[in-house]
Amino acid sequence: MIRYVLSRLLFALPIFLGVITIVFVIVRILPGDPAQAALGDYASPDAVAALRQRLGLDRPIPLQYGGYVAGLVRGDLGKSLITGAPVRDEIVHNLPYTLQLTLLALIIGTLAGVPVGVMNALTRNRLPDSIGRVVSLFGLSVPAYYLGILLILLFAIELRLLPAVGAGDLTSPGDALRHLILPAATLGLVMAAAVARFTRSTVLNTLGQDFVRTARAKGLQPRVVTIRHTLRAALIPIVSLAGLWSIGLIGDSVTTEIVFARPGLGSMMVGAMLQRDYTSLQSVMVVYTAFVVLINLATDLAYGFIDPRIRY
Amino acid sequence: MSARKATKKFTRRRFLTTALAAGIGGPVLARTIPPFGTPSRADAADNILHFGQSEGDLGTADPHYAAGTQDRALVDMIFNGLLRFKPGDGSAFEPDLAVDFPKPTVVAGKQVWTFKLRKGVMWHPSDKVPAYEMTSEDVVYSLQKAADKARSAYSALYTGMTFQALDPTTVGIVLDSPLSPNLFYPLVTNYAGGFIVSKRAVEAYGLDGVKTHPVGTGPFILRRYSPKERMELAPNPQYFRGRPKLEGVDYRYMADGFSRELGLRGGQLDGINGQQDEAWVGKMQAVPKLKVDIFGVGESTVLYFNQTVRQLSRKEVRQAIAYTLNRDEFLGLIGKKVGQKIYAPLAPFTIGALTENEVVAKGLDYKTNLEKAKSLLAEAGVAGGFSLDLVTSELNIYKVHYESMQAQLAKVGIQIRLRVVDHPSYHALIRKDTNPIVIYVAFRPTAEIYLRSFYHSASAVVSGAHPDTNFAHYSAIDDLIDKARVETVAAKQVEMWKEAQVKILQDMAAYPVSYANQVYARSTGVDYGHPLKSVLALYPGIDETTRVQRG
Repeated sequence: MIRYVLSRLLFALPIFLGVITIVFVIVRILPGDPAQAALGDYASPDAVAALRQRLGLDRPIPLQYGGYVAGLVRGDLGKSLITGAPVRDEIVHNLPYTLQLTLLALIIGTLAGVPVGVMNALTRNRLPDSIGRVVSLFGLSVPAYYLGILLILLFAIELRLLPAVGAGDLTSPGDALRHLILPAATLGLVMAAAVARFTRSTVLNTLGQDFVRTARAKGLQPRVVTIRHTLRAALIPIVSLAGLWSIGLIGDSVTTEIVFARPGLGSMMVGAMLQRDYTSLQSVMVVYTAFVVLINLATDLAYGFIDPRIRY
Repeated sequence: MSARKATKKFTRRRFLTTALAAGIGGPVLARTIPPFGTPSRADAADNILHFGQSEGDLGTADPHYAAGTQDRALVDMIFNGLLRFKPGDGSAFEPDLAVDFPKPTVVAGKQVWTFKLRKGVMWHPSDKVPAYEMTSEDVVYSLQKAADKARSAYSALYTGMTFQALDPTTVGIVLDSPLSPNLFYPLVTNYAGGFIVSKRAVEAYGLDGVKTHPVGTGPFILRRYSPKERMELAPNPQYFRGRPKLEGVDYRYMADGFSRELGLRGGQLDGINGQQDEAWVGKMQAVPKLKVDIFGVGESTVLYFNQTVRQLSRKEVRQAIAYTLNRDEFLGLIGKKVGQKIYAPLAPFTIGALTENEVVAKGLDYKTNLEKAKSLLAEAGVAGGFSLDLVTSELNIYKVHYESMQAQLAKVGIQIRLRVVDHPSYHALIRKDTNPIVIYVAFRPTAEIYLRSFYHSASAVVSGAHPDTNFAHYSAIDDLIDKARVETVAAKQVEMWKEAQVKILQDMAAYPVSYANQVYARSTGVDYGHPLKSVLALYPGIDETTRVQRG
């Protein structure tokens, strides 16, 4: 399995290089100048030119590209063109916020989605199934940012139970968790809707299989048939969906971080884009790419754990 | 049982067990949350001001580069100038690090301004430089930095100046060309290049380091910077005007206006940067225990006509456009609560700005008159109108103005095709002469800066000697601008500026539209410590007198 993991990681290298190159080219094609963005419209043109020189933006683009890639190979993500702070430090600061948000959302999405989906399948075309399908359809139809605003209005403004914005103090688990609940629920509930619908159809499909009928014929308890035989067989496609959705969660975390005014990679990326902070933007994209590669790998490896027939 | 088999069994079960444990663990973890009730609101005993500012992050805390609203406000709390604008009133000056106003003298044909400094003013302590007393050496270093294009965004304003430390508490500023107090004071005031920085701190941190390690003499000291999140400021116990009443400022970077609003309404924030929109103001004014502050300095919205574009090269066409446009329609975009119509190229309250009455008396207000507009177009040989391709920023204030202009000009057959781009792209494109008509929203602190950057031929975009923001490619008032700069008699200087504005309006190089004030909201427990008339730092002004009371 180690060889499999290593080969997958090796194959990821060209993907990284491709992403870096595409982002590098795109941000430079866009009109807008980091020096002008940093200094504002009131700065003298001479000062803008001086800053461009200091930031190395006056160098030929191939040289800038070579310098950036060489830095990456050395593990140096460069310095923010705007604040001058090392990008690595900014990523290290922001990464935990995005990780905790997506992980908790993943847990909420899975733990809420799978049971609802199983229940819907077991009560097919009856009232609980209909309610579950309508609710999950609603969840799929609502954009995450809109759901976030609704949750803030209800739980933070009207009921005043949870904070509306910010990430709290990471050194205080209770405070950080209180600030995390609404944004994670925003992402998690949307995911739960998708997981529930997918689980329902997968479990329904599995319930019709011969081995389930055999299990019932053996006289096993319905609970055992559902959990040990049906759900377990249905897990592989569900895990595939959860893996794919995790990648989507990372994307949705960008808007959620903005709505909840949380720090994180999404906020960092949007800020870098608006300020034309090329170095930060490129580096954040590298981290996002790493997420996608690693999540795909983890999903593939999870198949082996769930289904003993799968070997690497 | 083989090791391989044992590992396989163990691992698969472990995986499934872990998944189950996560399900059980979540609720258990949730039990560690403190009891719900009021914890999401700022504690009543919390004497820290929680303030939500626009923009997603710090740009720079180096005051000589600070340009964005979020940065100007931040450096205002940390740094001082030799003089300062009276808190809450940007039209009045008072001494700051200097003990008194200087009086100019002429030495060897050059104008010299001599400042006596306060004694005992201490720099904030930092992790690299302990607190030490400010001297003239720091002030000279700071002004030299402000005048250096490699270390300051505002260097052009300090051209022809030399700075001398005459003794530890005396600074002399020698000007090659004399300036009136109208033009000199803003350069040594707590604004842009006038902020005084610590020599030792800048040398210790370097130019990149001071962007995130500001060391000043002001009421608040940097405690911690959390990128994309907040700047935590502590009170300066040694502040020369006395220890601040607040225990600190929690300065949050929150790009999304709705999030700021929710933070304020939810009680997590005490004050926020609001929206320049009458509907928003009305909505927030209706919320109990909240107050909306509307104050200057605002930004002027002005249309500039590029005279190098064939269709706009004739004065009659530009005047026809002016007669077509309706200021009331433009003002309706932001609302009367937030803005006002303007008739002069210089913003209201700027020293030297023409008043509405003066403009109307000269018949230069271009009151809407579609018939006259059509006849002027016919006179220019374009009776059927023409079409123009323009870009607009995605920022609402720009987009709505362009769209309104598009609708208004269609009435006389001038068709505008609009393309929306992001804001940095907009700024880049209009500096490449992309737009025949440029809408620009800006504030400039003096008439000289405004006229020079927008109407002097040297500032013409692309083609000027020092390309800046002369989008009109206007060149008819260079002489007046240059003469007014060196005029030391304030009254004569003002007359020249007014004459220049009359010429601009006669030639219709630009059409002044509206003036939008700053809009902030706060809980009623916040007292900034001064009335709010106008603040050049573009925020209400948080200083040693600011207080917050909750409950």
